[in-house]
Amino acid sequence: MDTFYNRLMDRLYLASIWIAGTAIFFMSLIIPWGVFTRYVLGTGSQWPEPIAILLMMSFTFIGAAASYRAGAHIAVTMFTDLLPRWLHRSGEVLVHALMAVVCLFVVWYGSSLCIETMGQSIAELPWLPVGVTYAAIPIGSALTLLFVIEHLVYGSQAKRPAVHLDEPEPVPAVEGAR
Amino acid sequence: MDAFVLLGSFVLLMVLGMPIAYALGLSALIGALWIDLPLDAVMIQLAAGVNKFSLLAIPFFVLAGAIMAEGGMAHRLVAFAGVMVGFVRGGLSLVNILASTFFGAISGSSVADTASVGTVLIPEMEKQGYPRAFATAVTVSGSVQAILIPPSHNAVIYSLAAGGTVSIAALFMAGVLPGLLMGLTLAALCLVIAKKKNYPKGQVVPLRQALKICVEALWGMMTMVIILGGILSGVFTANESASIAVVWAFCVTMFVYRDYKWGDLPRLVHRTVKTVTIVMILIGFAASFGYLMTLMQIPLKVTTFFTSLSDNRYVILMLINVMLLLLGTLMDMAPLILILTPILLPVVKAMGVDPVHFGMIMMVNLGMGLITPPVGSVLFVGSAVAKLKIGVVARAMTPFFVALFVVLMMVTYVPWLSLWLPRLLGL
Repeated sequence: MDTFYNRLMDRLYLASIWIAGTAIFFMSLIIPWGVFTRYVLGTGSQWPEPIAILLMMSFTFIGAAASYRAGAHIAVTMFTDLLPRWLHRSGEVLVHALMAVVCLFVVWYGSSLCIETMGQSIAELPWLPVGVTYAAIPIGSALTLLFVIEHLVYGSQAKRPAVHLDEPEPVPAVEGAR
Repeated sequence: MDAFVLLGSFVLLMVLGMPIAYALGLSALIGALWIDLPLDAVMIQLAAGVNKFSLLAIPFFVLAGAIMAEGGMAHRLVAFAGVMVGFVRGGLSLVNILASTFFGAISGSSVADTASVGTVLIPEMEKQGYPRAFATAVTVSGSVQAILIPPSHNAVIYSLAAGGTVSIAALFMAGVLPGLLMGLTLAALCLVIAKKKNYPKGQVVPLRQALKICVEALWGMMTMVIILGGILSGVFTANESASIAVVWAFCVTMFVYRDYKWGDLPRLVHRTVKTVTIVMILIGFAASFGYLMTLMQIPLKVTTFFTSLSDNRYVILMLINVMLLLLGTLMDMAPLILILTPILLPVVKAMGVDPVHFGMIMMVNLGMGLITPPVGSVLFVGSAVAKLKIGVVARAMTPFFVALFVVLMMVTYVPWLSLWLPRLLGL
């Protein structure tokens, strides 16, 4: 199945991967830069640490949303695999409905955490509010929620071509793998 | 009752097949509602769990290993190991074990080790007359070394789960001797099997060629020198050395080895996002779960339970070993480290076991879990690389399981193995 919603989620999935990928790219450059300024320039910057943490938060929460759509999260499927097909499907619906609960919790309480900490600033970088560092938490969970809804309505999307761009061999397009 | 609600809901959600990270989060919520804890507190723990500078080393170590593994490091390490041990009887099986030892020194991932060393060596071993199942069994069991030999991102996760009280440098150095012991034990087993089954001898590599192979491999092995040298000398922190290792791995792969295409880089990053973020978010949710466990005094209750069973630390360590081995066969390594360390560390500390030593016991146990059915990610990857049924590989692995169990017993009951090197270096 390839509806407008699926295509939109493809875009969001790739955007999440790009954001997370860019974040880890800059993280890997910022920290060595900090070392360079300390030993070579002899100045020692304060900003690499909080910025790297900000990037790591984005990497974690936004990347984890994409990992959910790709079915990459660690789960124990040994017991559910033994169930008859219909029960297996109902169990899956239940699990993803519960996923939605977790995502809703994180979106709601994560947003309020961000709002509450917008007034506080980070010691090393006075212009950066703590709330900005936390922003990736509700954003990433909102993305996960969108992917959870897609999973509940259209089934697993882990075999979609967009999700498999990282595989060495192209995976043939699968019709809404329910 | 509190503990029952928290742990029971987690186990139930996990059995239902919910991703473990989110199952931890949801059971933390259920636990918080049960003890009337404001949900904001759970949220703060989740945010604080990831908002930690010390966490940065994990994505860096995994990324550096991934760049090296995919960037042509595997066949250079195999060639390097070939120069050193390839010429004896059963040479290629020893090469396989030694290549994993070297691989462990650039990456802490057994899965990456099995995938990259296996792709090179399983077909090669089969061509030379080794049964494919045996070749796979050697690859899969040899890869457990990667978890022990520094740098190991699992050691970083353990340090984190222990509340940052155990130094990463000490854990890294503690892994050296158990890792080498594991390599030697597996190599000895391979020699015995090779002699019995009359597996082929390899050839001595001519000196000029051998030198070239060594120089090529040393470029990659420098990663370990940067990481350990940086941390031990105090020049870099663990994060800094890990990030410099990423830059180094990138430069060696793209400018020295040059067999990785620039166009393939986005795919590498895509894969890394998928493998690392699942561990990172697990750490976040495990932090809120761990907070609830502490509030409910679960570690204390577990300690009291264990000490009521026996006051002999050898008995308790054996019980813990059995438990870890069983859980390890069902669950992956990172979640088990994150969930069990806060529970078990107080128990073993009360028995006078050093936390660094216990870290090694945990690594060997859970590493064995990765290669044991019914759920063993490394075993699955190995079987997929070899295109063999999991049962076939698992059967071929029987003698290797015995060898690894012997190593586990030595690591458990000879603390010196884990503690001598860190103490020598004053860590």
